[in-house]
Amino acid sequence: MYATFDLDRPGDLAAALAILRTKGAVALAGGTNLIVDMRAGRERPQRVVSLDKLGVLRGIRQARGQVTIGGRTTVTDLLLSPVIAKTAPALVESARQFAGQMVRNTATVAGNIACGSPAADLVPPLFALDARLTLVSARGRRTVPIESFFIGYKKDIRRPGELISRISWKAPSSRSCALFYKLARRKGDAITVVGVAVALDVERGRCRRARVALGAVAPTVFRAREAEAILEGQTLTPELIESAAEAAAAAARPIDDIRASAAYRRHGVHALVRRLIGQAWEKLA
Amino acid sequence: MSAPFDPNRNLANVSLRHVGKPLVRTDAPGKATGRTPYAGDYVMPGMLHAKVLRSPMPSARLVRLDVSKARALEGVALVLTARDLPDRLAPTDIPGQTGQTRLKTDQQILVRERVRYHGEPLALIAAESVDVAEKAMSLIDYDLEPWPGVFDPESAMRPGAPVVQGTDNIVARHAIGKGDIDAGFAAADMVVERTYRTQFIEHAFLEPEVGLAWVDENDVVNIRVSTQVIEHFRFIADAIGVPHNKVRIMGALVGGGFGGKEDITVEIYLALLAKHTGRPVRLEFTREDSFVGHGKRHPFILTYKTGVKRNGKITALDVRLVSDAGAYVFLSPYVLLYGAIAAPGPYLIENLKVDAVSVATNNMYTSAFRGFGSAQACVAYEQQMDEVAQAIGIDRLDLRRRNYLKTGEPTATGYRVPSAVWTERCADIAWQALGEKTPAKGAIRIGRGLAAYQQSYGRLTFLHDTSEAWVGVEVDGTVIVRSGVTDIGAGQASALAQIAIEVLGVNMENVVVYNSDSAVTPLAGTTTATRALYMTGNAARVAAEAVRGRLVARAAKAFGVPVDDVVLADNKVSALDRPDKAMSFADLVRLCATEGIQRSELAMFRAPFTDRLDPATGQGQAFADFTYGAHAIEVAVDTETGEVTVLKSVACHDVGQCINPAAVEGQIEGGAAQGQGYALSEEMIYREGRLMTPSLSEYLIPTAMDVPVVKSIILESRSGVGPFGAKGIGEPALTPVAPAIANAVADAIGRRIHDLPITPEKVVRALHGID
Amino acid sequence: MPTVNLTVNGKAVSANVEARTLLVNLLREQLGLTGTHVGCDTSQCGACVVHVDGKSVKACTLLAVQANGSKVTTIEGLASGDKLHPMQEAFREHHGLQCGFCTPGMVMSAVCLAQNHPNLTEKDVREGLEGNLCRCTGYHNIVQAVLAGAQAMRR
Repeated sequence: MYATFDLDRPGDLAAALAILRTKGAVALAGGTNLIVDMRAGRERPQRVVSLDKLGVLRGIRQARGQVTIGGRTTVTDLLLSPVIAKTAPALVESARQFAGQMVRNTATVAGNIACGSPAADLVPPLFALDARLTLVSARGRRTVPIESFFIGYKKDIRRPGELISRISWKAPSSRSCALFYKLARRKGDAITVVGVAVALDVERGRCRRARVALGAVAPTVFRAREAEAILEGQTLTPELIESAAEAAAAAARPIDDIRASAAYRRHGVHALVRRLIGQAWEKLA
Repeated sequence: MSAPFDPNRNLANVSLRHVGKPLVRTDAPGKATGRTPYAGDYVMPGMLHAKVLRSPMPSARLVRLDVSKARALEGVALVLTARDLPDRLAPTDIPGQTGQTRLKTDQQILVRERVRYHGEPLALIAAESVDVAEKAMSLIDYDLEPWPGVFDPESAMRPGAPVVQGTDNIVARHAIGKGDIDAGFAAADMVVERTYRTQFIEHAFLEPEVGLAWVDENDVVNIRVSTQVIEHFRFIADAIGVPHNKVRIMGALVGGGFGGKEDITVEIYLALLAKHTGRPVRLEFTREDSFVGHGKRHPFILTYKTGVKRNGKITALDVRLVSDAGAYVFLSPYVLLYGAIAAPGPYLIENLKVDAVSVATNNMYTSAFRGFGSAQACVAYEQQMDEVAQAIGIDRLDLRRRNYLKTGEPTATGYRVPSAVWTERCADIAWQALGEKTPAKGAIRIGRGLAAYQQSYGRLTFLHDTSEAWVGVEVDGTVIVRSGVTDIGAGQASALAQIAIEVLGVNMENVVVYNSDSAVTPLAGTTTATRALYMTGNAARVAAEAVRGRLVARAAKAFGVPVDDVVLADNKVSALDRPDKAMSFADLVRLCATEGIQRSELAMFRAPFTDRLDPATGQGQAFADFTYGAHAIEVAVDTETGEVTVLKSVACHDVGQCINPAAVEGQIEGGAAQGQGYALSEEMIYREGRLMTPSLSEYLIPTAMDVPVVKSIILESRSGVGPFGAKGIGEPALTPVAPAIANAVADAIGRRIHDLPITPEKVVRALHGID
Repeated sequence: MPTVNLTVNGKAVSANVEARTLLVNLLREQLGLTGTHVGCDTSQCGACVVHVDGKSVKACTLLAVQANGSKVTTIEGLASGDKLHPMQEAFREHHGLQCGFCTPGMVMSAVCLAQNHPNLTEKDVREGLEGNLCRCTGYHNIVQAVLAGAQAMRR
């Protein structure tokens, strides 16, 4: 049942953070998850703090090789931004496959991260970018790597009253390639069964940096570090790529659910890591 | 009975002005502007809001139900439980108009003691607001004690299984026996036996069930409701214990049906609450209510054993069908019968045996869904044709060509098809139209598949079906059509308009159709079974012809010409080859009105009335006629991820005669998408009877990104028994799609997945044997 | 009870709502604009799409209060008088509808899509409509209608 709550629409960040300190208060950004969950009675916050007036949290900018976006930047904003197109092609691909047009118009990047779903589409590409999150609260701010943000299924390190205000990453070099693949039961607007983001940087015929981030195959999105280690410093061969794919599949901890079995998810990780690394390498070699 | 179709008959003289043209439908402007009121848009002063409390368990005993706290809540007008409704049952049979013997099946309205499915209603609440009703729902205390259940039909048939219905869970059996099955197999060079399985499917119409009921000054219970069947008013009256003329059902334009609004949905709840409170009551299902609240498409287990000669001639076919009826009978016996009759497909099978059984379980009950058993049969018979062709090493289309049924030849029940049978033509055209094959690339393989079909239109003839329509002309020359037919989105009302104006020679702007009111519009029967155009279209045509006859007679007299020389067209009346003789249509109508010549007609169209089929052999007439056609598909399969992409989708159907080709194409394109969902992505998953897919985020109907452009090739044999030689296309549009896709996937990967839906995971398992 | 002030189809509207009132409930129940439909509880179907400040949104997932101060356009506000909006005209003309329940949401999404893409392709349309479900048409005529409507909007 859709319960009642008190609603605030603060006009500045300080006011928002002050209200968010109160017990039972939750932040409302795009609402595309929270309102659905509230309508179903899965979430029953006493107090809802709408962030929709906080323009300061929305926007994309690039300065000195660093890309920074506000937490309230919408998925559509990502798709319309030349900066994102240039610096985060895998993120663009995940944004393109993110739900439908109307949800993209309201859903925010911070919201997608904070919802904590291992199937959140924007998160694997952000892992592959080594993105950092700025968390703010009435008590101050801190910046953490996105990788250390998640600590379990729908669990993260946020303290009460803390918001994701910014997401930032270093613009990749021109000798890099990032790809994303969403494997789902349907092409349009479906929950991800396996999400894979990879990124390769190549220097003088060798893979200098490799990132393999996996979604929907463990309690949280995670990096398959064993797979990355196999690739880094090497001139990639089909055999190396295959062993990296095997390592990624071995690192996955998927579950069985109505969308797919754990075995299929593991198979999907293997197939897609092999495919995407192969494609990225081919592009750069 | 109609004479067999003569393929050489000369059709050149038939010239139609409105029928066969893609006219803008009468309902299109209202829908494009949001002005069309749906059943959920009606409100009344003093209206209460209802909610239904449902069982979260699929098989249980209700040991305690305490509604006292809910009743005491401020704003609650009424809480009803089974204890308040002694002796009341809800009939679950097909409604009829002609009084012949039926199945007399029923269902408890609210749970008395035994819960048989997840979602079975425990209590009804009417309150001042939806919020109060929901709060009241949460205040109802109940204890459910788990009760042994059975969740698949094969287990439910075994001795000692928990009994859900009757004494042994068997809700229906049908048998068909023709020729000599043993001799047929003895004559075969090869025997191919396979088992196919289909899944529970949800209609997923966009408009959830909704209605508004009130009791009027004559004690008539009025219900404005989204339904395919206003003629449930009789069953609703029986269920609440009032005479049949004290319940009036008013439909509205329906936001999708597909068979899911064929059974009673909210009507009995509304009638009871309105009658007990004396106030208007509105009940709107949420999507989750809808998913747990109405019957699904039957899962079938279909075992096909085919005897075939090396030259491709099929000598024998032995079919076993098992369907999961779920917890209550509803239309399962009829769906099963359709499946049994459709079992051999559009092929001449001289030695045929079909054993079909429908079994009750503690799954959601199953009932009507576009294709109604015939679609499930097609999933099996068309995959089996490909399997047989592969086994004997002959081309898939050649095997079909050797065996197609032709006009005048006997169907499974021995009935000889009276109309054109253009299966071969349709199949060849559809296959050709796929064009050049898309090249395979890397992990992507390309496959093609075809499925042909035979699908009845119109009800089972032993149900003695009739339909009425009224056509009248006003003194200003405008036309009114009245008919009870419900319009579920296919343009049912608009088709009647097109038929009436064709006959009366007026234009589309000059006609209005009033439909879907059980008290005011003549009863037309249901909008189901691909019968609306066939039955009501014929009734409208007959009524319009009668009106035309009188008008033309008067015009002939005025012009001094023979009646055959009077021409009605473009709102004008004229005489053939006599330019001096002309008047406006309105003037002719006024002339008739002045002289007291009747300007309207109520007509009844009667389908053939037959006896039931022979119970031992299943022989006899079951339907008036059949539609034939084929669907061809090209898919790309990603052999690494198992994803299937439908690249090309071509349909070719003989629809007899298009009334509105745009509407026909719409049916075909919609059927193609629903069939694709059936093949690839849709499945209502029940685990031990519990629904695991209660929303549109788990139950995946195709989106615009999933379906390809559909090519519709429409043939017109003008041989059907509908108006102007039309056949039906509503259900046939869907029937061949899923097996065509299954055949295309098998063609692409060289392995067959025998159970729908063909998910990426099943493809991967078939290719890589993961675990 | 919060008061919201917004412009709906060009008219200033003021209403008292609860904090939790969804925009779709305000439109349908308080303002009587029943052309906006509700087909699901999970923000999947798209039958409730309206424009808020020119952008298509699902009115079942937006609090009425969040639309305070905004310009809201519903399907009823698209036509000018008796003259259908080119996108509505295209849906009517190209048989882009059957049962019609998804149509208002489809039309609203399509208008926003056409405004954002100067040269709309079939692929853009299919991707743009992935959040609008239709069970009747197979999307075929809807896609044709949107392409035609977008072209007409440019004229």
